[in-house]
Amino acid sequence: MMAEYLTALAAVLAAPFLGGILMGLDRVVSARLQSRQGPPLVQPFYDILKLFAKRRMAANTFQMISVSVYLASMVLSLALLVMGQDLLVLLFILALGNIMLILGGFSVKSPYSQLGSQREVIVLLAYEPLLVCMVVGTYILTGSFSAASVFGLERPLALSMPAFVITQTLVMAMKLHKSPFDVSASHHAHQELVRGIYTEFSGPQMAVIELAHLYELVLLLGFIVLFWHTNLVVGIVLALACHAAVIVLDNVSARMTTRWMFGFTWSVGLALAAANLAALYATGPLPR
Amino acid sequence: MGLLEPLLKISPLTLAAVLVFSPALFGVVVFAVRTKWSRKGVVTVAGWVLTLAAITVFAIAFVSRTALSATLPAKAAPWSMIVAGGDLALLAAILVIAVRFRSAMVFGVALVQLAVVLYAELTGGHAAEAAPSVFIDWLSVVMVMIVSVIGSIIAVYGLPYMKEHERHLGIDEAGSHRPGFFLTMLVFLGAMNGLVISDDLRWVFFFWEVTTLCSFLLIRHDGTDLANTNALRALWMNTLGGVGFAVAIVLFGAHAHTYSVQALLRSPMGAAASLPILAALACLMFAAFTKSAQMPFHSWLLGAMVAPTPVSALLHSSTMVKAGVYLLMRFAPAFHGTQLSNVLAIAGGFTFVATAFLAIGQTNAKKILAYSTISNLGLIIACTGLNRPLALAAAVMLLIFHALSKGLLFMACGVVEHGIHSRDIEDMQGLVNRMPLTTLIMVIGILSMLLPPFGVLIAKLAAIEASVHLPLAMGMLVIGSTLTVAFWTKWTGRLLASEPGAVHPKIEHLHVMYFVPLVLLTVGAVAFSLAVFPLLTELVEPAVTQYYALVPGAAGGVDLSTDVLAVPWLLVFGVMATAVLAPVLVARTRPDEEVGAYMCGEQIETPNGSGFITVAEQSCSLSIRGHYFERYVGEDRHTLWMSLVAASLIAGMFGSVAVR
Amino acid sequence: MGLIDIARSKSPWILHFDAGACNGCDIEILACLTPVYDVERFGIINIGNPKHADVLLVTGTVNKRSARVLRNLYDQMPDPKAVVAIGACALSGGVFHECYNVLGGVDSVLPVDVYVPGCAPKPEAIIEGVVMALGKMQEREHARKRGAA
Repeated sequence: MMAEYLTALAAVLAAPFLGGILMGLDRVVSARLQSRQGPPLVQPFYDILKLFAKRRMAANTFQMISVSVYLASMVLSLALLVMGQDLLVLLFILALGNIMLILGGFSVKSPYSQLGSQREVIVLLAYEPLLVCMVVGTYILTGSFSAASVFGLERPLALSMPAFVITQTLVMAMKLHKSPFDVSASHHAHQELVRGIYTEFSGPQMAVIELAHLYELVLLLGFIVLFWHTNLVVGIVLALACHAAVIVLDNVSARMTTRWMFGFTWSVGLALAAANLAALYATGPLPR
Repeated sequence: MGLLEPLLKISPLTLAAVLVFSPALFGVVVFAVRTKWSRKGVVTVAGWVLTLAAITVFAIAFVSRTALSATLPAKAAPWSMIVAGGDLALLAAILVIAVRFRSAMVFGVALVQLAVVLYAELTGGHAAEAAPSVFIDWLSVVMVMIVSVIGSIIAVYGLPYMKEHERHLGIDEAGSHRPGFFLTMLVFLGAMNGLVISDDLRWVFFFWEVTTLCSFLLIRHDGTDLANTNALRALWMNTLGGVGFAVAIVLFGAHAHTYSVQALLRSPMGAAASLPILAALACLMFAAFTKSAQMPFHSWLLGAMVAPTPVSALLHSSTMVKAGVYLLMRFAPAFHGTQLSNVLAIAGGFTFVATAFLAIGQTNAKKILAYSTISNLGLIIACTGLNRPLALAAAVMLLIFHALSKGLLFMACGVVEHGIHSRDIEDMQGLVNRMPLTTLIMVIGILSMLLPPFGVLIAKLAAIEASVHLPLAMGMLVIGSTLTVAFWTKWTGRLLASEPGAVHPKIEHLHVMYFVPLVLLTVGAVAFSLAVFPLLTELVEPAVTQYYALVPGAAGGVDLSTDVLAVPWLLVFGVMATAVLAPVLVARTRPDEEVGAYMCGEQIETPNGSGFITVAEQSCSLSIRGHYFERYVGEDRHTLWMSLVAASLIAGMFGSVAVR
Repeated sequence: MGLIDIARSKSPWILHFDAGACNGCDIEILACLTPVYDVERFGIINIGNPKHADVLLVTGTVNKRSARVLRNLYDQMPDPKAVVAIGACALSGGVFHECYNVLGGVDSVLPVDVYVPGCAPKPEAIIEGVVMALGKMQEREHARKRGAA
């Protein structure tokens, strides 16, 4: 038990560094794809430190609460994943954070952040069923929602749930606000609705959001590592490959509308999920 | 334990009498003695009496750990005559109403019901005398607690509400309709208690019809044309459900030769049940669908929102509509393992998804609450249909948490409505600046419907876990849960959308009889959520296990996976509480400077709040609206086909009887 | 130089405002973002939102219409911040100096840290202007800290 908590603590402490490097890599790779040199690898750390050191300026106190809960939910979700806890609970804690951020965007009477929040609600609607279906898939295989039971499987998830590798990649693109899904705000400094849902967060609040993004990135990649838990090297390579796919997708596609995004994920995404689930029901051992 | 010993000696019949008759008696007093203070006093005292009686029932059940049951001597009175007379009197009342309001629909349905009831009376002679018998197991205790405690809180809240309501309508004290209003409310509370503690189906049916009538009277309380129309719709739909109930009684009498629920549950049921018995169960489901306003009968509950808010809070979210799901939960072991049960799960799941979908397009706060209520009832029905110990545990928890949160939300809505004279959530924009206290309560209420660590979510987790064996139902639960997030988040967003600069709002004054009920339910929702796991393992689980002991082959405890319990909830709660409180408590995280929204540098202050300068130096005040996706989720686009699907699912329920 | 100082000098986010330019200077600013100059090498991002920005780049003359907007944008930027005036018009009003509606250069409304002359200035000059502004911003912040202590 103690060891579990210590591992989780270590993961929580290490995640921002790992996430920062990956985010920096993302920016460098994106720049190279655009035949630019791009920023230093550690650029995300500079940005976050600078934002923390800016004067605190806000429209209301609720914004502060919203970003702190957002960060807390990301940290908690990561800790729960590392501790091998219930994945469904994890998803809802993750959703809690996102909803609080949306409410933070809603809490200012600002045209841009309001519209960003409206759209973020749809983004949430678009990816949430995919995430839950993924977790249900693991339940069919293991008879439990816990991540620990996935660790116990002999066969990598990616072999029994290949479609969910694709849906998880889509979810990652949506959660990271990458093209073509960057409707509510953009991951980079592309300007959509100014900065969309982030428009009214400034200085330290924005720093907290950026920090939470680092956790989110690690968490999303952690989900994919889970798909090849039997060999962590393969798992990490798979995760990085998915991340690379998201970056390439971001650079080769244009921003689409919310309606398109919703339609796409609920048709193609859910069809993929349903097909894989059906296969699992047909072949997989449903215990009890 | 020693202190509680004397409690066990209290006869269940005494308690039953207090629970059923005391509210009615207090109601008569309120009706007869028409002064302001007597009304306040009597309703409050009635609330206390009911609450204490309910707590006593709870304590006894908790100490004795068995179901309480008792029956009055069969010879003491012509019971069958009494209950039959009651039924007929109610039907006569409905017929009179039908004639008075010239409603052919109500008249026709009531006539059909009359025919069935008369047939039952004439042919059911071989059954035993309908002596009132009381059976209080854990499910009944939960219902009694909800009805008596939450019901009392809402009734007390109704006192200042109705006063203000009549002041708005320009009705003075002399012409006040309040005595009748509180009489009906209190009679309803008694009937509801009777419904959940009676063991004899004939009595359950009688109380069922009393609640139908009370609901009609309360919906048409304001007497407007709209109120009358909607009340009549509620009446005919519920009376139609009553027909289903009466047919079920006839079938049970003819083929099982008993009307006692407990005796029925012990007779061959489930896969072993004969065709007429299964048909009777399907009829009960039909009745439950009307009472719990499942699609396609949901329109009556939407219409019922014209009633004053305490009515919506009490009858149309916390208690009366729960009668339907209660009946299904009560009979769940009886249809365990049948196709009927699976179809029930799908039908409930369909309403869950469909109404959550329709709720997204609504701007009327009470209508959103109504849709959400229907949706949650659908979820509870789906859980009942899944018919596993875990699913039923989820259903019981949903009963409790939904009653708390929805009662709270309706009451908060009522306060807001009197504050801003609108129930449109667009008008509630920035309410946090105008009514910060009510907004806080409302936001807690909303978040308690969808976020961890609140109980509704834990129940949903359990429901999803229980549904894995029925993939279609599972898909519905997953999608429905997601849709639910959308409309609650959008609503909360409107409440919180504040004008920059107006960050130090003055806390509004609330009438003490608003404040206390609101705070009680808020504290209740939070406290029960924090105690959700003890509640589950200590109370719900043993009860449900006992429940399924009746069913051969369905034994096994509530297997809410130890995973959920193993989550370090203390850590989760701790981190979340810190995250919420830190910015509030630590002065260092307060903003150094408060600035307005970014509007391309064109922002200005206008008399109507923030605004901007537009072309030709015109100043323009900023107005923002939520997006409700009317084009995609509009009621008029979807209600028809959804109702048709739901109706065919109900037909499927009857069809599945044939194939088992 | 502390960690924060390093971070500040490595991550200047920019808000670009055209107060009434002929667009010549704006084109040069945008040129900085292209692969040829790639200012993201220095962590510079054109963020487009005063609430996230550190450096305000202003081009063009300040006139009666744009002065208020300029002031508003500046006020919405959280400290520490710097202002760079770019091009002849932003410095003094340029050829429009005597125009009936022109107030003058950016310094008629805001405290300007760096003046980048030219009509239009070269991208290299603009980038250097931003770097100089960062230096002045840091100095000001240090002085404020010393004053507070």
